[in-house]
Amino acid sequence: MTAFSLRRIATRVTISFFLTAQIALALEAGDRAPAFAAPALGGKGTVELSKYRGKVVYLDFWASWCAPCLVAIPEIEKMRSEFPSEDFQIIAVNLDQKEKKALRFLSKNPVGYPSASDPKGRLPGQYGVDTMPTSYLIDREGVIRYVHRGFQRGDGAKLREEIRALLEAGR
Amino acid sequence: MRRLCVGVLILTIGFVSSGCVRVKPWERDLLARRDMAWEPDGLEAKREAHIYFSKEASMPGGSGGGGGCGCN
Repeated sequence: MTAFSLRRIATRVTISFFLTAQIALALEAGDRAPAFAAPALGGKGTVELSKYRGKVVYLDFWASWCAPCLVAIPEIEKMRSEFPSEDFQIIAVNLDQKEKKALRFLSKNPVGYPSASDPKGRLPGQYGVDTMPTSYLIDREGVIRYVHRGFQRGDGAKLREEIRALLEAGR
Repeated sequence: MRRLCVGVLILTIGFVSSGCVRVKPWERDLLARRDMAWEPDGLEAKREAHIYFSKEASMPGGSGGGGGCGCN
Protein backbone atom coordinates (compact mmCIF):
# COMPACT_ATOMS: atom_id res chain seq x y z
CA MET A 1 0.00 0.00 0.00
CA THR A 2 1.46 3.34 -0.96
CA ALA A 3 1.86 6.27 1.39
CA PHE A 4 -0.53 8.22 -0.85
CA SER A 5 -3.43 5.78 -0.48
CA LEU A 6 -2.82 5.52 3.28
CA ARG A 7 -3.06 9.26 3.53
CA ARG A 8 -6.24 9.24 1.49
CA ILE A 9 -7.82 6.64 3.78
CA ALA A 10 -6.78 8.61 6.87
CA THR A 11 -8.33 11.77 5.44
CA ARG A 12 -11.61 10.00 4.69
CA VAL A 13 -11.75 8.42 8.14
CA THR A 14 -11.16 11.82 9.77
CA ILE A 15 -13.87 13.50 7.72
CA SER A 16 -16.41 10.75 8.36
CA PHE A 17 -15.60 10.83 12.09
CA PHE A 18 -16.46 14.51 12.28
CA LEU A 19 -19.57 14.13 10.15
CA THR A 20 -20.99 11.16 12.03
CA ALA A 21 -20.00 12.33 15.50
CA GLN A 22 -23.55 13.45 16.26
CA ILE A 23 -25.57 10.70 14.65
CA ALA A 24 -26.81 8.31 17.32
CA LEU A 25 -28.07 4.94 16.22
CA ALA A 26 -31.68 4.22 17.08
CA LEU A 27 -32.33 0.82 18.59
CA GLU A 28 -34.61 -1.41 16.56
CA ALA A 29 -36.42 -4.72 16.98
CA GLY A 30 -33.85 -7.46 17.59
CA ASP A 31 -31.47 -5.23 19.59
CA ARG A 32 -30.85 -5.83 23.26
CA ALA A 33 -32.49 -3.20 25.48
CA PRO A 34 -29.79 -1.37 27.46
CA ALA A 35 -30.23 -1.97 31.19
CA PHE A 36 -30.75 1.12 33.32
CA ALA A 37 -31.51 2.30 36.81
CA ALA A 38 -32.84 5.83 37.13
CA PRO A 39 -34.38 7.81 39.99
CA ALA A 40 -38.13 7.50 40.16
CA LEU A 41 -40.22 10.52 39.28
CA GLY A 42 -41.12 12.28 42.52
CA GLY A 43 -37.98 10.98 44.22
CA LYS A 44 -39.18 7.67 45.62
CA GLY A 45 -36.47 5.05 44.99
CA THR A 46 -35.19 3.98 41.59
CA VAL A 47 -36.68 2.38 38.51
CA GLU A 48 -34.64 -0.54 37.21
CA LEU A 49 -35.26 -2.34 33.96
CA SER A 50 -33.44 -5.52 35.04
CA LYS A 51 -35.89 -5.94 37.93
CA TYR A 52 -38.54 -6.94 35.40
CA ARG A 53 -36.50 -9.56 33.52
CA GLY A 54 -38.78 -12.52 32.84
CA LYS A 55 -41.75 -10.26 32.08
CA VAL A 56 -42.75 -8.57 28.86
CA VAL A 57 -41.91 -4.88 29.39
CA TYR A 58 -43.44 -1.87 27.67
CA LEU A 59 -40.99 1.03 28.01
CA ASP A 60 -42.41 4.46 27.22
CA PHE A 61 -40.45 7.70 26.85
CA TRP A 62 -42.67 10.72 27.52
CA ALA A 63 -42.73 14.38 28.52
CA SER A 64 -45.53 16.68 29.70
CA TRP A 65 -44.94 19.15 26.83
CA CYS A 66 -45.40 16.44 24.19
CA ALA A 67 -49.05 16.37 23.10
CA PRO A 68 -49.09 12.83 21.61
CA CYS A 69 -47.43 11.51 24.80
CA LEU A 70 -50.39 12.82 26.77
CA VAL A 71 -52.78 11.08 24.37
CA ALA A 72 -50.83 7.84 24.85
CA ILE A 73 -50.72 7.80 28.65
CA PRO A 74 -54.41 7.09 29.39
CA GLU A 75 -54.31 4.38 26.70
CA ILE A 76 -51.18 2.81 28.22
CA GLU A 77 -52.78 2.90 31.65
CA LYS A 78 -55.80 1.09 30.21
CA MET A 79 -53.50 -1.58 28.72
CA ARG A 80 -51.88 -2.10 32.11
CA SER A 81 -55.12 -3.43 33.55
CA GLU A 82 -55.87 -5.58 30.49
CA PHE A 83 -52.81 -7.83 30.78
CA PRO A 84 -51.74 -9.95 33.76
CA SER A 85 -49.29 -8.08 35.99
CA GLU A 86 -47.20 -11.24 36.62
CA ASP A 87 -46.38 -11.35 32.88
CA PHE A 88 -46.52 -7.74 31.78
CA GLN A 89 -44.94 -4.56 33.13
CA ILE A 90 -45.08 -0.96 31.97
CA ILE A 91 -42.22 1.42 32.75
CA ALA A 92 -42.12 5.06 31.75
CA VAL A 93 -39.19 7.43 31.48
CA ASN A 94 -40.12 11.06 31.90
CA LEU A 95 -37.92 13.58 30.09
CA ASP A 96 -39.22 16.86 31.50
CA GLN A 97 -36.47 19.20 32.62
CA LYS A 98 -38.71 20.36 35.44
CA GLU A 99 -40.07 17.38 37.31
CA LYS A 100 -43.01 19.32 38.75
CA LYS A 101 -44.58 19.70 35.28
CA ALA A 102 -44.70 15.91 34.93
CA LEU A 103 -45.99 15.48 38.48
CA ARG A 104 -48.72 18.05 37.83
CA PHE A 105 -49.90 16.08 34.78
CA LEU A 106 -49.79 12.78 36.69
CA SER A 107 -51.74 14.22 39.61
CA LYS A 108 -54.61 14.86 37.17
CA ASN A 109 -54.08 11.62 35.23
CA PRO A 110 -52.79 9.10 37.76
CA VAL A 111 -51.14 5.91 36.47
CA GLY A 112 -50.34 2.65 38.21
CA TYR A 113 -46.92 2.03 36.67
CA PRO A 114 -43.52 3.41 37.69
CA SER A 115 -42.00 6.38 35.94
CA ALA A 116 -38.30 7.23 36.02
CA SER A 117 -37.08 10.79 35.76
CA ASP A 118 -34.30 11.58 33.30
CA PRO A 119 -34.13 15.37 32.85
CA LYS A 120 -30.70 15.20 31.21
CA GLY A 121 -31.86 12.78 28.51
CA ARG A 122 -29.24 10.09 29.18
CA LEU A 123 -31.60 7.17 28.51
CA PRO A 124 -33.19 8.39 25.26
CA GLY A 125 -29.64 8.97 24.05
CA GLN A 126 -28.77 5.34 24.79
CA TYR A 127 -31.89 4.07 23.08
CA GLY A 128 -31.57 6.50 20.19
CA VAL A 129 -35.06 7.95 20.60
CA ASP A 130 -35.79 9.94 17.43
CA THR A 131 -39.46 10.80 17.94
CA MET A 132 -41.55 11.78 20.93
CA PRO A 133 -43.09 9.63 22.22
CA THR A 134 -41.25 6.40 21.45
CA SER A 135 -42.03 3.15 23.19
CA TYR A 136 -40.26 -0.21 23.16
CA LEU A 137 -41.80 -3.60 23.67
CA ILE A 138 -39.15 -5.78 25.32
CA ASP A 139 -39.43 -9.55 25.60
CA ARG A 140 -38.71 -11.72 28.65
CA GLU A 141 -35.05 -12.05 27.66
CA GLY A 142 -34.50 -8.29 27.42
CA VAL A 143 -34.59 -8.06 23.62
CA ILE A 144 -36.56 -5.29 21.91
CA ARG A 145 -39.31 -6.84 19.79
CA TYR A 146 -41.28 -3.82 18.66
CA VAL A 147 -40.66 -0.07 18.48
CA HIS A 148 -43.62 2.32 18.36
CA ARG A 149 -42.82 5.86 17.25
CA GLY A 150 -45.31 8.66 17.85
CA PHE A 151 -48.84 8.04 19.04
CA GLN A 152 -52.25 8.62 17.54
CA ARG A 153 -55.71 7.69 18.70
CA GLY A 154 -56.30 4.16 17.52
CA ASP A 155 -52.69 3.01 17.93
CA GLY A 156 -53.72 1.09 21.04
CA ALA A 157 -55.14 -1.76 18.93
CA LYS A 158 -51.81 -2.40 17.18
CA LEU A 159 -49.95 -2.22 20.51
CA ARG A 160 -52.32 -4.67 22.16
CA GLU A 161 -51.84 -7.06 19.25
CA GLU A 162 -48.04 -6.89 19.63
CA ILE A 163 -48.19 -7.35 23.41
CA ARG A 164 -50.56 -10.28 23.11
CA ALA A 165 -48.34 -11.99 20.53
CA LEU A 166 -45.28 -11.54 22.73
CA LEU A 167 -47.05 -12.80 25.84
CA GLU A 168 -48.22 -15.89 24.00
CA ALA A 169 -44.81 -16.52 22.41
CA GLY A 170 -43.16 -16.78 25.82
CA ARG A 171 -45.54 -19.38 27.21
CA MET B 1 2.10 24.89 1.26
CA ARG B 2 -0.66 23.10 -0.66
CA ARG B 3 -0.60 20.28 1.89
CA LEU B 4 -0.98 22.79 4.72
CA CYS B 5 -3.97 24.41 3.01
CA VAL B 6 -5.68 21.02 2.55
CA GLY B 7 -5.00 20.19 6.20
CA VAL B 8 -6.45 23.51 7.39
CA LEU B 9 -9.48 23.01 5.12
CA ILE B 10 -10.15 19.50 6.48
CA LEU B 11 -9.83 20.72 10.06
CA THR B 12 -12.12 23.69 9.39
CA ILE B 13 -14.79 21.46 7.80
CA GLY B 14 -14.43 19.06 10.70
CA PHE B 15 -14.83 21.67 13.39
CA VAL B 16 -17.65 23.49 11.62
CA SER B 17 -19.64 20.30 10.92
CA SER B 18 -19.20 18.95 14.44
CA GLY B 19 -20.26 22.31 15.86
CA CYS B 20 -23.74 22.05 14.35
CA VAL B 21 -25.99 20.94 17.18
CA ARG B 22 -29.30 19.32 16.45
CA VAL B 23 -32.04 19.80 19.01
CA LYS B 24 -32.81 16.29 20.14
CA PRO B 25 -36.45 15.16 20.22
CA TRP B 26 -36.50 15.14 24.02
CA GLU B 27 -35.07 18.66 24.24
CA ARG B 28 -38.00 20.39 22.52
CA ASP B 29 -39.64 21.51 25.73
CA LEU B 30 -39.64 25.26 25.02
CA LEU B 31 -39.98 24.82 21.26
CA ALA B 32 -43.16 22.81 21.82
CA ARG B 33 -44.83 25.73 23.57
CA ARG B 34 -47.86 27.17 21.84
CA ASP B 35 -46.39 30.68 21.72
CA MET B 36 -43.31 29.33 19.92
CA ALA B 37 -45.39 28.10 16.98
CA TRP B 38 -45.12 29.99 13.70
CA GLU B 39 -48.91 30.35 13.73
CA PRO B 40 -50.12 29.78 17.28
CA ASP B 41 -53.78 30.14 16.29
CA GLY B 42 -54.64 28.21 13.13
CA LEU B 43 -58.12 29.70 12.72
CA GLU B 44 -56.88 33.26 13.19
CA ALA B 45 -54.07 32.68 10.67
CA LYS B 46 -56.55 31.34 8.11
CA ARG B 47 -58.83 34.35 8.61
CA GLU B 48 -55.96 36.78 8.17
CA ALA B 49 -54.76 34.98 5.05
CA HIS B 50 -58.26 35.18 3.61
CA ILE B 51 -58.47 38.93 4.24
CA TYR B 52 -55.00 39.36 2.75
CA PHE B 53 -55.62 37.58 -0.53
CA SER B 54 -59.07 39.10 -0.90
CA LYS B 55 -57.63 42.61 -0.54
CA GLU B 56 -54.68 41.87 -2.77
CA ALA B 57 -56.89 40.14 -5.33
CA SER B 58 -54.35 37.39 -5.52
CA MET B 59 -55.08 33.81 -6.34
CA PRO B 60 -53.93 31.35 -5.01
CA GLY B 61 -53.84 32.84 -1.54
CA GLY B 62 -51.16 35.02 -0.04
CA SER B 63 -48.22 32.75 -0.70
CA GLY B 64 -48.36 32.13 -4.44
CA GLY B 65 -48.00 34.11 -7.60
CA GLY B 66 -50.75 35.13 -9.99
CA GLY B 67 -53.81 37.36 -9.79
CA GLY B 68 -57.53 36.85 -9.53
CA CYS B 69 -60.86 38.46 -8.92
CA GLY B 70 -60.48 38.60 -5.13
CA CYS B 71 -64.04 37.39 -4.80
CA ASN B 72 -63.35 34.07 -3.05
